[in-house]
Amino acid sequence: MSAAATASLAPVEYNDDVVRKFVIATVFWGVVGFLVGVFIAAELAWPSFNFWAPYLNFGRLRPVHTSGVIFAFGGSALIGTSFYVVQRTCRARLFGGKALADFIFWGYQFFIVMAALSYVLGFSKSREYSEPEWHLILWLVIIWVAYLVAFVGTLVRRAEPHIYVANWFYLSFILTIAMLVIVNNLAIPVSVFAAKSYSLFAGAQDALVQWWYGHNAVGFFLTAGFLGMMYYFIPKAAGRPVYSYRLSIIHFWSLIFIYIWAGPHHLHWTALPDWTQTMGEAFSVMLWMPSWGGMINGLMTLSGAWDKLRTDPGLRFSVTAVGFYGMSTFEGPVMSVRTVNALSHYTDWTIGHVHSGALGWVAFITFGALYYLVPALWGKTEMYSRRLIAWHYWISTLGIVLYITSMWVAGIMEGLMWRAYDAQGFLQYSFIDSVVAVHPLMVVRLVGGIFFLTGALIMVYNMVMTVRRAPAGALAAATPLAVGD
Amino acid sequence: MDEERVSAVIIGVLMALFGLIGIFLAAGARDIEMSIFGFSLAGFAIAFIFGLLRSHYDMIEARTGEEGR
Repeated sequence: MSAAATASLAPVEYNDDVVRKFVIATVFWGVVGFLVGVFIAAELAWPSFNFWAPYLNFGRLRPVHTSGVIFAFGGSALIGTSFYVVQRTCRARLFGGKALADFIFWGYQFFIVMAALSYVLGFSKSREYSEPEWHLILWLVIIWVAYLVAFVGTLVRRAEPHIYVANWFYLSFILTIAMLVIVNNLAIPVSVFAAKSYSLFAGAQDALVQWWYGHNAVGFFLTAGFLGMMYYFIPKAAGRPVYSYRLSIIHFWSLIFIYIWAGPHHLHWTALPDWTQTMGEAFSVMLWMPSWGGMINGLMTLSGAWDKLRTDPGLRFSVTAVGFYGMSTFEGPVMSVRTVNALSHYTDWTIGHVHSGALGWVAFITFGALYYLVPALWGKTEMYSRRLIAWHYWISTLGIVLYITSMWVAGIMEGLMWRAYDAQGFLQYSFIDSVVAVHPLMVVRLVGGIFFLTGALIMVYNMVMTVRRAPAGALAAATPLAVGD
Repeated sequence: MDEERVSAVIIGVLMALFGLIGIFLAAGARDIEMSIFGFSLAGFAIAFIFGLLRSHYDMIEARTGEEGR
């Protein structure tokens, strides 16, 4: 055996310390984000829950919830799993040493805490999913560049000749988010010492830039990054190679090419030029193909291993997540058709759609990865209790079903009430009529959220007990699962 | 110097710079948000640099222990 071949087979000391930290942060922020979500759901059912305090106002707490679940929970999960995956699939230690990894972890947590605090204090750019003021965005960009350096540095010094497809998805997520955040936040601060800035763009252009960002935050943060997670953790948990590696490459390139054009569908029936709206609609409909190609690839990876769904409730989360991915990526293009959008826009249908993706896809694929990672990272053979994972699965699934069905009904009811005219051509209902009509559905949504939060608390207990009590075992195999393994 | 040390030095220098920027922002802050951010950034930088120092001595101790065995 040559010296080079011997060196490439030598055990690599991975930096799992930073992955463990991100796993803990993911679980912590998940619970915080879900809790705030439940609280503001209660405010929507009974507005007096804001107790007339500005800090508890829905307008301030809503971005705490969205940033908490997307950037804190989802972001920590993505960065942590990307560090785990890139090291193993490249057979190389994380680039940049412990100091860079710690800087990325603590710097990102610092950003999250500062952003949440600024929302509660009433500071916001009022751009959806991009609320932090200019100084916080600058800090985020510094952290993101450090993240890119660590990830790409590890890819560059890989001992494996091939770059596994999960890393392509993670890299597209890192690069595109950097581009989106920078362009959408081009702004002039009032002063270096003031947390207030004005966008470089104005009018319809400003709206278009914001929704080019907003939709691609969904496409590249909540989709591409988590697809990277899917392409590593489902094959590992199922003990099967990816169903079609060729399909995964087609999935990757078609998804990233098409997604970037779909943003204008958020601005149907507005001052945006018609051709731009049509382009957004056309590209959204085209997104069906790569989305379903990826879903089929994820599901078919279970070929020959479907029985594991009975014995591995963690894998059940991942596979159900892929099902929700297929469902929400079917619903999204339907809602982007202008005729449908005329009914659905500004209603709770949109909220239901977002949560079928956020809870069903993002959170479930993360839970599946966490149930794989926790025993592997803390040197245990398995989770403390499979029964508790099953409880988590069923109570969360029930929560999602309650959430999205109530929002469908509420949204369609709102849309129909707002467009109803009487024989004389007057609006049949006032806005408050629709608010009163959807009240019971707001309560059902709150119950769904409480179920989902309860499931997350069960997971926390199970994980704590796993780290403290589950039987110790060897660390999970450090080798990547190659095609055909 | 190995990768760990180079990384610690670069990050340490950057954190010192961020700490100074934090004090600068807090000193001239025109609103409560910038004041909180400035002080927090300075505090974060100090805590992080202490962490780097601790890691440095932990590493020296680990190496000394390995050589002693």
